[in-house]
Order: sequence, then C-alpha cells, then structure tokens
Amino acid sequence: MSLIIGQILPYITITLFTLGVLYRLGRWVGPRIVHNITLSPWMKTNTAVTIRVAEEAFLFRNLFRFDKVLWLGAILMHFSLLNVLGGHVVGFGTLGKQFAFIPGLGITEDLSEQMSNLLGSVFGLLLLLTLLFLLYRRLTLPKVKLVSSISDNLWLVFLILLVGVGDLMRFFEFAATNVDYKAVQDYLVALALFKPVTDMPLLSNYFFLTHFLLVQILLIVFPFSKLMHIFGMFAERWIINRVYKDPAPGLPNVDVAAARLAGIGVPSGDAAEEGV
Amino acid sequence: MPCLTVNGVEIELDDDGFMIDPDLWNEDVARALASSEGISKLKEDHWKVVGFLRDYFKQYHLAPMVRKLCQETGCSLRYIYELFPSGPAQGACKLAGLPKPTGCV
Amino acid sequence: MPEYNGMVQPVRATPQELSKIFVEAVPDEQKPEKAVEYLDSIRKKFRSFVMAMESCVKCGQCAENCHTYLGTRDPNNIPANRTELIRKIYRRYFTLEGRWFGKLVGAEDISLDVLEQWYSYFYQCSQCRRCAHVCPFGIDTCEVTFIGRQILHWLGIAPKLHATTAGGMYKTGNHMTLPKPGIIDTLEFLAEEVVDIYGAEIEFPVDKPDSDILYIPSSADFSLNEYTLMGAGLFFNYIGANWTIPSTVTEAGNFGFLFDQYHTQRSNVNKLLDAAHELGIKKIVWGECGHGWRAAKMYIPSLADRPVRWPITHIHDEIADLIRKGELKIDPAKNYQPVTLHDPCNYVRACGLNDNMRTIINAVTSDFREMTPNGADNFCCGGGSGILFDDPEMYQRRIQLSQKKADQVRATGIGKDGNGILCAPCSICKAQLYPMVEEHELGVEVKGLVDLVGKALVWK
Repeated sequence: MSLIIGQILPYITITLFTLGVLYRLGRWVGPRIVHNITLSPWMKTNTAVTIRVAEEAFLFRNLFRFDKVLWLGAILMHFSLLNVLGGHVVGFGTLGKQFAFIPGLGITEDLSEQMSNLLGSVFGLLLLLTLLFLLYRRLTLPKVKLVSSISDNLWLVFLILLVGVGDLMRFFEFAATNVDYKAVQDYLVALALFKPVTDMPLLSNYFFLTHFLLVQILLIVFPFSKLMHIFGMFAERWIINRVYKDPAPGLPNVDVAAARLAGIGVPSGDAAEEGV
Repeated sequence: MPCLTVNGVEIELDDDGFMIDPDLWNEDVARALASSEGISKLKEDHWKVVGFLRDYFKQYHLAPMVRKLCQETGCSLRYIYELFPSGPAQGACKLAGLPKPTGCV
Repeated sequence: MPEYNGMVQPVRATPQELSKIFVEAVPDEQKPEKAVEYLDSIRKKFRSFVMAMESCVKCGQCAENCHTYLGTRDPNNIPANRTELIRKIYRRYFTLEGRWFGKLVGAEDISLDVLEQWYSYFYQCSQCRRCAHVCPFGIDTCEVTFIGRQILHWLGIAPKLHATTAGGMYKTGNHMTLPKPGIIDTLEFLAEEVVDIYGAEIEFPVDKPDSDILYIPSSADFSLNEYTLMGAGLFFNYIGANWTIPSTVTEAGNFGFLFDQYHTQRSNVNKLLDAAHELGIKKIVWGECGHGWRAAKMYIPSLADRPVRWPITHIHDEIADLIRKGELKIDPAKNYQPVTLHDPCNYVRACGLNDNMRTIINAVTSDFREMTPNGADNFCCGGGSGILFDDPEMYQRRIQLSQKKADQVRATGIGKDGNGILCAPCSICKAQLYPMVEEHELGVEVKGLVDLVGKALVWK
C-alpha cells in the first residue's frame, strides 16, 4: 500500500497532471479569436483591462454584483483554499518557521510555529465549512439544482472528504500519529531525490495515506475536469475583455452653422405664412 | 402544404395562410381568405383597403408603408385593426394576396 | 404544428426557401452524424465556443439574470443549461472524460431529438449576452447559440422568418424585399409627410453619386418605424450633409449574423462594401438596428473580403457628437411626455453606445426617467436575435419573454397617464415591443431615439 501510494503513484501523478494540463491548454490555443466579441462598455487601456480581470479573478466582482450570498461562500472557499495550499508549501518548506524569516518583525521561531498552526487550523476549518455550504447550496437552491449534474455534486463531496481527512490529522491526536512538519518534509525531499521512502513511519499512518491518495486522484483528474476553470477563467476573459477604441465621430464636409444660416429645409414661403 | 379551392381552382397557401402565387388572386379568393381570418362579410371599406394594397403591390412589388395605407384609404390604423383583426400585415395583406412580410415586423 | 415533444419551435423554412439561400437540407437519417461533423469543424475554429464548452462550473448565477428563464421558468432556458444542450454532445465526442465516463459527466449521444431540442431552445435565446455580462468567467452563451443555429441551418433546419428574411436580402438588398421604385416612392411620400408634420422641406437622396455619407437605414423603417426614417432625414438635412441611401443595401440589419455567419452574413457585408465603393462615399453611418449595428461595427473588419476604407459610425454617435459640440438647436419641450429608454442589448453590451444614447435623450426630451436596471445591466426586450415569430404558440412565448421588460417599464411609472414614450432604438426591439406594450397594457408608445431627435430640432 505505502509502496504504491507513497512511492510509485506520486511520479505517475505529476506526469499525468503536467501532461494533462498542457493537453487541455493546447486544445484552447488551437481555435482562434475569430471576431471581436469584447463586452462593452469597453476599457480603453490595457491597465484598465488588467484591473478588471484581476477584480474578477481575485475579488469575484460579478458574483458580488449579482449574488452576494454566493459571493461570500465562493470567495471564502477560494481564499481559504489559497491559504491552505500556500500553508502546505511554506509550512512544510520552512517547518512552520516562515514568519520568523520576515525581517523587521522580530517574530521568534516558536511564535511563528504557533501562528502557522493557528492559521492552518482556521483556514482548514473554514475551507471545510465553505465547501459544505456550497454543497448545501447545490442540493437545496432550485436554480442551482437545475443546473447541477452528478459530477458537480461529486466534486464537492470529494473535496469535502479530502479536506475532512486533512482536518482530522490537524485536530485529532489519534489521526496525527507520526505526522508532523518534519516527517512530511523529509518524505517530500526523499521523493524529489528519487530515494526509497517505504520505511518511513509517516507512511504507516492511514489518514495520511488516504489524504495523499485523494490529493493524487484530484491531480490526475484535474486536467479533465471543471477544476480547469482556474485557467479557463483567464482564457475566457482574454476573449471578452479587451481594449477597444471607437472610430472618431465627425461627418465629412458638414458645417452645421453654415447650413442653418442658409436656411436649408426651411420652406421659402414660411416667413410670409408666419405673419398670417 | 395547405390549400384553398375556390371556384374549382386550387390555390396554394404557405404555413401562415398567405398565397404563394399572387397572380391567382380574385375577389372570391379574398372572400375565402376572409372567412379563414374570421371576417364574415367583406364591406366596402375592406375592399377599399384590399384594392389599394393590390394596386400598390402591382406597381411597386411591395406592400405600402402602413402610414401610407392609412392616408390613401382614409382609414385610421385603429379602424384597419377593426376591419382586419390580425392587422394590416397579417390580415389585410393576406386578403389582398400579398406575400407575408419578412424582416423585423 | 410548431411543437415537438412539448417544446415550442418556430415554423420551419421550406426546402424551397432554404434553397434560395443556398442550403440543401441533409436527409433526417444523416442529420445526427453530420451535426457532429459540423460541430467538429467549428470547434477547431472558434476559441470563444471552446471556452464556453470547457469552462462552466455551473454556479447558477446566470439563471435569474436571463429574461428567457425568468419569463418561462423552463430549466433548459437557464443559460448554463442551454449551452449544456450542445455541451453534452461536445463532451461525448470531443473530450476524454465524456468518451470514458459518459453519463456521469453529463455526456450524451447525438440524436434527432437533441437536434430538435437545439432548434427549440437556441431560438428562444435572444443572444442578448446578459449572461456573459454577469458570468463570473464571462462565458458567452451567445457564441454557443450562434454556432448551434449555424449547424442547424447547414442541416436544413432554420425558422421560416430567418430564412425568408435572408432570402429577401439576397433578392433585393433588404430584409423586407423593397425594390428600388418602392424605396423611392416611400421616401417621396415621407418627404411630403415631413412638410405636414414638421414644417420642414427635406430630401431623401437615393443612390446619389459622389455623396459624402452613406446612410444605412433599417428596412423596417420603411414599413413600421416611419418616424425613425423621417428623424434621420430631418437630421441629415438639418446639418446640410451630402448624404444618400443606397438602394442595393437598404438594410441596417444582417440576419445572417443570427443564424448563418459563414455565408449569409459575409455576403451581406460584401454587398455593403460594393455599394460604398460604387457611390464613392467617405463615411458610412448606421441606422437604428441593434444586431445589425453589432454585425457592422464588430464583424465587418473580420468578415470583409477587402480592406475597409470607410469609417463606420452609428447615427447616435454622430448626433451625440454634435450635441456635445452644441451645434444643434434643440427644444426638449417638444418631447414633453414622460419617456424611458430601453437599452438595446447589442448597443450597450457589444457596441458601447450607452453614453451617447443618454447624451441624446437628455438633450431632446424634458422628462426622462431611467428604468432599473439600465445600461449594460439592462434586460432584453424578448425579441432579440430576430425571434419575432408570430404563429400562436411562439407569439405566446414572446409575451412571456417580454415579461421582465414590461415589469421594468411599469416600475418607471411613465405609462400612468397613458402618454408615456418607451424609447427603443432598434428595429427588433420596436417590432417586439409594438405588440407587447399592448399585451402588457403599459400605456406607452414605442419610439426610436432618432424619432425624438427629429421632433426636437429647431429649424429657425
């Protein structure tokens, strides 16, 4: 078990994930932007376009404008996810001492570890709750129920399981046996150096193995799923939010003042009629 | 394809009940089309409108502007709707044997 | 009977009508297979289509923002589900997950039933792009229904209205099949009317060589929207322009845009460029037509078969420019009635006309009230993309599709005294709203924006 999930599968996962994402992106590059379908009112500079796309990507502008509840759920979920992912990287990378590396703050390594733990707990829990909220929304709101397919719900269930197991290891002693920052760091380093890892105590923890397996399934399926919307979002915006400049108004050989002075269109007999 | 038989002549209609071949039109055809539109009896004003439409169509190969129709026949648009409940295009033009108008109408 | 398995459908074009626009219907038994073949060729060309197929996360935000769904409450009229009608086929044939997991990921085999679904629901979509406007990713359902309609057309399934309108364009150069003598007679008649109504003596030059400005009116202005045509005539005469209307393309619209961009739209574009070349003009000015203006402004550069030498602007651009420069003498009191503005979707979400329309309406009317939402957030009139079908079933549907618009107009209170003006500066909007303001008993009259300009001009 630990041999397959812990030693062999990771290399397959990374390969499939990378190739899959490249394949999917390649599919998007082939077809062209044939006609200009940018949405108006349009932006006049590339800076404005960048700001708009950033607002949509990081602040979920449109969700905020048209559905505040979904906006709150979605942005909290994505923000927590971002932090959880980032936490995994720097947490295992620095063993929780990341904040001590920030110069000028005077944070000790101990304090940094405590902060890292706290943030991890908060975002781990928040991520789980917001995922549950999104699932609840899919199962109860009629309009969302009408557009959801089985796979939409399955994805949420899958993510809830994945995050749930992660949270178990964070919050419960029994699930966290042999799991700490150092053990995970050692394991990942060994994997990267193509060294054998099957003897590591970490891999005897079934919670860790489950979590790790789910992550790998996620990564393998990722390129063939709707999770590609992370990239799709930018590709779509690249089509419909672009700079457009209107041709200048102004009609050739038109002199309104002269035309009015010449009385164009005013009937010649009009002046006489007015006297009547 | 729907058909109308008037005085032994078979008249082809399109799905909306408009005549395919305007040349086959005569007053009896107009009467037959009128009954399909729910108009029981064609009065003088009906004939005035239909007559103007046909004359105009013969000359210009199109239905006149509604405004022109009203002016030339002296009928207000409201009155035309009274005469032809489905309106100048769907009602009057159909009876006059004109093709169904296309475009944004 | 325009209904199939409980789905409303527009009346279909006959093989003869399709033949006039160069399409021969594919036999029924080959239709599904051909549809996949056409879909395959199109998906390799249009990234906008591929992104719409591959990016949706089904958040459901589009549902309450689509007037079609709001009016019909039919789940397939939710934009995400409308695109799903084609996405399920796309998945099944062109993605790994669809080929391997089928139903689980919502993939489905092509069949005649699916094509009938397309025909029903893609012709209930107004292609107003409000869903693209509200989508967190910007997925443009309009791109999907364009392509769905294109494939259906190649298979020989098109509404009679669209096919005969395109046929009219091919035959006479305008959608309403107006021949040149009819155009001239109508314009002479209007010139006489202008004297009676406005006391101005104006001319409508047709095919005048060496004109500076080519004005492209909507052909519907020759039948129903006479005040728009008069308004444009008044404006061009007022400013002393050397202008003309071409008899070979007396048409601001381009129905090809709505269902056959490959051939019909392109050939209409080239017809326009031919006319511009022959008349030796310097600038093209477009009349009031929503889809036509989008087709002209945004698509002529990519559809023309030659470099486009003439700048193309909308008559609203030009009027607004002259108003800003203070060159027009205007009396807003002449349009004293309460007025609201219906923003044509193509103007505000595809052509950036938002500000110019407001510059004009604020200058030429004295009691302007905005409806909510307005501008780029506005809802469609319910007739967008030419779904102006008048058979009884589809007509009922049109009433439903205009429900949201009716609510919006009512909320402004302009119709309280029965003398309100609903300004809807687009021929499709006008054609949809003329009967709809009666159906919903709104107490308003539908007018174009140029109509109001023509009335407000002060000649002496």
